[in-house]
Amino acid sequence: MLISRPVVILQMPVQLNLESARTFWQELEPLLECHRPRVVLDCSQVTYIDGAGVEMLLHSLEEAMKRDGDLKLAAVSPESEVMLELMRVDRVFEVFKTSEEAARSFGAAPVEAVVPEGPWYAPVFGDVEGLKQAG
Amino acid sequence: MLGAIAIVGPEASELERVSPDTRSTRAVRSERFGSGVPLACLEVLGRSTLDRVVGEWRQIGVDAITLLADSCFASVREEIDQSAREFPPTWVEDAWGSVPQILKHYSECGIDAAVVVRVAAHIETDSVEAVRFHREQGRPVTRAFDGEGSLDVWIVDTASTGAGEDVGAPLFLEDSARYSVDGYVNRLADPSDLRRLVADSLNSRCQLRPQGAEIRPGVWMGEGAEVDRRARIVGPAFIGRQSKIEEQCLITRSSNVESNCQVDYGTVVEDSTILPNTYVGIGLDVSHSIVNRTRLLNLERNVTVDIGDPGIIRQNRIPQEVATRQSPFPMGWGRVGFTQNAKISLEEGQDV
Repeated sequence: MLISRPVVILQMPVQLNLESARTFWQELEPLLECHRPRVVLDCSQVTYIDGAGVEMLLHSLEEAMKRDGDLKLAAVSPESEVMLELMRVDRVFEVFKTSEEAARSFGAAPVEAVVPEGPWYAPVFGDVEGLKQAG
Repeated sequence: MLGAIAIVGPEASELERVSPDTRSTRAVRSERFGSGVPLACLEVLGRSTLDRVVGEWRQIGVDAITLLADSCFASVREEIDQSAREFPPTWVEDAWGSVPQILKHYSECGIDAAVVVRVAAHIETDSVEAVRFHREQGRPVTRAFDGEGSLDVWIVDTASTGAGEDVGAPLFLEDSARYSVDGYVNRLADPSDLRRLVADSLNSRCQLRPQGAEIRPGVWMGEGAEVDRRARIVGPAFIGRQSKIEEQCLITRSSNVESNCQVDYGTVVEDSTILPNTYVGIGLDVSHSIVNRTRLLNLERNVTVDIGDPGIIRQNRIPQEVATRQSPFPMGWGRVGFTQNAKISLEEGQDV
């Protein structure tokens, strides 16, 4: 049975400079402390991001990956895209158009996925029980 | 004798549509980059279009040159003054309104024809041939055209104008002759045209040549430019005078770094323009962009970003000899600058 972990969607501040990045990190850090954190940062309100903001994002991603999790960006404005490209971090993050898309991308399979018939080893060893009974 | 008037001012087509009664409501099209400096006044490959126009006139022996800047650009006066190295412009309240008076003065001084140019586009044409065409046509005004329409270039018989006439009237006569420009024209209508001009020049698709020495095929460097031996300049590219390219940088794909810039360690500049007096920080990737001090215009996304972080981009320290250069002429009537060929002179402060 596959279990879908909850994905946390967090709204980024309008301006991501040194001061606001520190404040935002205080809000984000607890969410990254669990096992396999799955976080989406909604950037739709972001109008300005500077070097300190990018550093904070990179640090967040690093912390998420340390715990086998991931952090994705959603609704990045053209201005923010330019800044991410300028600082060569545009390929580091997965970026999606909407938060919903980003959240869906975390689930490899939904909770109601089809459970295969028989034990997992059947395709490898065949019908072992049948062989036992025959033997 | 031949005179010339160069105007840094609003587009002429705006004047054509505005009636004399509403002349004060002239619109100013934004052939500017961000800060408001007209594109023709920005340094491109070592020299602004304005400077090149005036330089060409001096080269062909124009007898009198007047350079006017309209007060609508007063907010960027310093940048425009610095863009005209031959001599800085004279600032006037209404540049177009000054034209008839200047033409009348030229006529009184024996100058029978004048080239009037609104400095905006980069136009490659034979000025001498154009004047000869004008004289053959026998009409008071000749206007230049290319395949896309009219250009803000006229040749005017100075005797056909008089002071007190409507602004622009001498230039917009319906029976003016049409001179077809067959050479390269870049209208510099928006910032992407600036990049196109640079790429066309560096790839020899026009006659515009960078200022400086071609240190190897496709790579030009201005006087005093420094490139770290561990940086890579992959031509075609241009490095302006007094600029520094630091270690591990890569400048490529028709990029131009204009004068007094610094591109810091490990930064890549690809298909981009770094305008004068700009510092570009460490480890950046500048692509398909125009960078001017604290402002970056990404041409792919058509997005302008004002970057307040001085560690990323910022204004570079301006050399003292450039910072203190000022126009010697106060705002007022146009002051005529005469070349060595001129046999007439003006008293200091004399009205034109």
